[in-house]
Amino acid sequence: MTLPHSLPHDWYPAPLPSNVRIGEGSWLYSSFAFLHCRSTRQQAVRIGRSSGVYMGSFFDLGPNGEVQIGDFSTLVGVIICSDQKVIIGDYVFIAHEVVLADHFAAAPTSIESNSEDADSESSIKDAGIVIGENAWIGAGAIILSGARIGTGAIVGAATVVDFAVPDYAVVTGNPGRFMPRLATTVKESL
Amino acid sequence: MAIEELTGRWDYFSLPSNILVGHDCYLERKDSFTRFRSSRSPGLILGNCVRVYTWTTFNVEPSGIVEVGDDSILVGAVFMCAERITIGKRVVISYHVTIADSDFHPIEAAARKLDAIANAPGGDLSKRPPLESRPVMIEDDVWIGIGAIILKGVHIGRGARISAGSVIARDVPAGARVAGNPAQIIHEAAN
Repeated sequence: MTLPHSLPHDWYPAPLPSNVRIGEGSWLYSSFAFLHCRSTRQQAVRIGRSSGVYMGSFFDLGPNGEVQIGDFSTLVGVIICSDQKVIIGDYVFIAHEVVLADHFAAAPTSIESNSEDADSESSIKDAGIVIGENAWIGAGAIILSGARIGTGAIVGAATVVDFAVPDYAVVTGNPGRFMPRLATTVKESL
Repeated sequence: MAIEELTGRWDYFSLPSNILVGHDCYLERKDSFTRFRSSRSPGLILGNCVRVYTWTTFNVEPSGIVEVGDDSILVGAVFMCAERITIGKRVVISYHVTIADSDFHPIEAAARKLDAIANAPGGDLSKRPPLESRPVMIEDDVWIGIGAIILKGVHIGRGARISAGSVIARDVPAGARVAGNPAQIIHEAAN
């Protein structure tokens, strides 16, 4: 883990917040991503190794907000609006215009502190949102508090998820529905 | 680009004179207003203490009027306005929300082809077929969820809750909670 004060390629003049960690080989487009970041957690945002967080991504975190991103994950413009813990695993794809949020009508200022005194080593159990290893989140999907996206699962474009998606399952539509046949095909191919 | 133009610290008096801004507003990104081309007076009214974040854009045709009531929060409201869009007080509009009071192109295929020609680069915009529009009215204390789309002629009653990803083509009664595409009522108003 490195602790850069600024990104060498950055066009936005603000320094990176001191509670942001970016792992070796990872790319973050700009410190502009922290325009609304008010997290006071010791590690507000932790990006692992060789992950890309591209233009249009924002960390609109409240005081208790905390985001962990694993290794080899690609986020091409996700908005994360949370005052809780958000965990994104390794080898995850998150497509354009995806929002991860605590509340269906989330806003940067309306983030209520609802994670009462969570200590710094809070577990996955306490997290608002968990996206498992190797999951794929389609364009425009909306992932709300309570979502648990399993390993290898696929969330279709514009799907709304606030529930558990089992490992390797495929969920699409609004309201979200599972596509069992495809899920079986994926499992059998492994 | 000056950083002030991205962080709400630009001169709000540099907006066109037909935009009325109440006291204590926060208008984060100056570019939110670059597609405002209303020739009405006023063409945009923002009440007091309105917060307008980065993702919001006011795409207002010369004939359009947008009105936003006091204490409303516009996070990512994309207004597509040809006639009138009215937002009440204390309304929250979350990320990636589109509100349109017109389809902006004819339903009928032959008329739409003429519209395509008129809209092409170098085209003659005066040859566009007339737009059909119907005003959108969103009452006080409505919350509009992430990614919702509100279409022309819709009236959303006071205190209604529009779930994330909803597509709203019909009126929503006061206090109701709706969800889905097309949106269905999932809770009636609590009495």
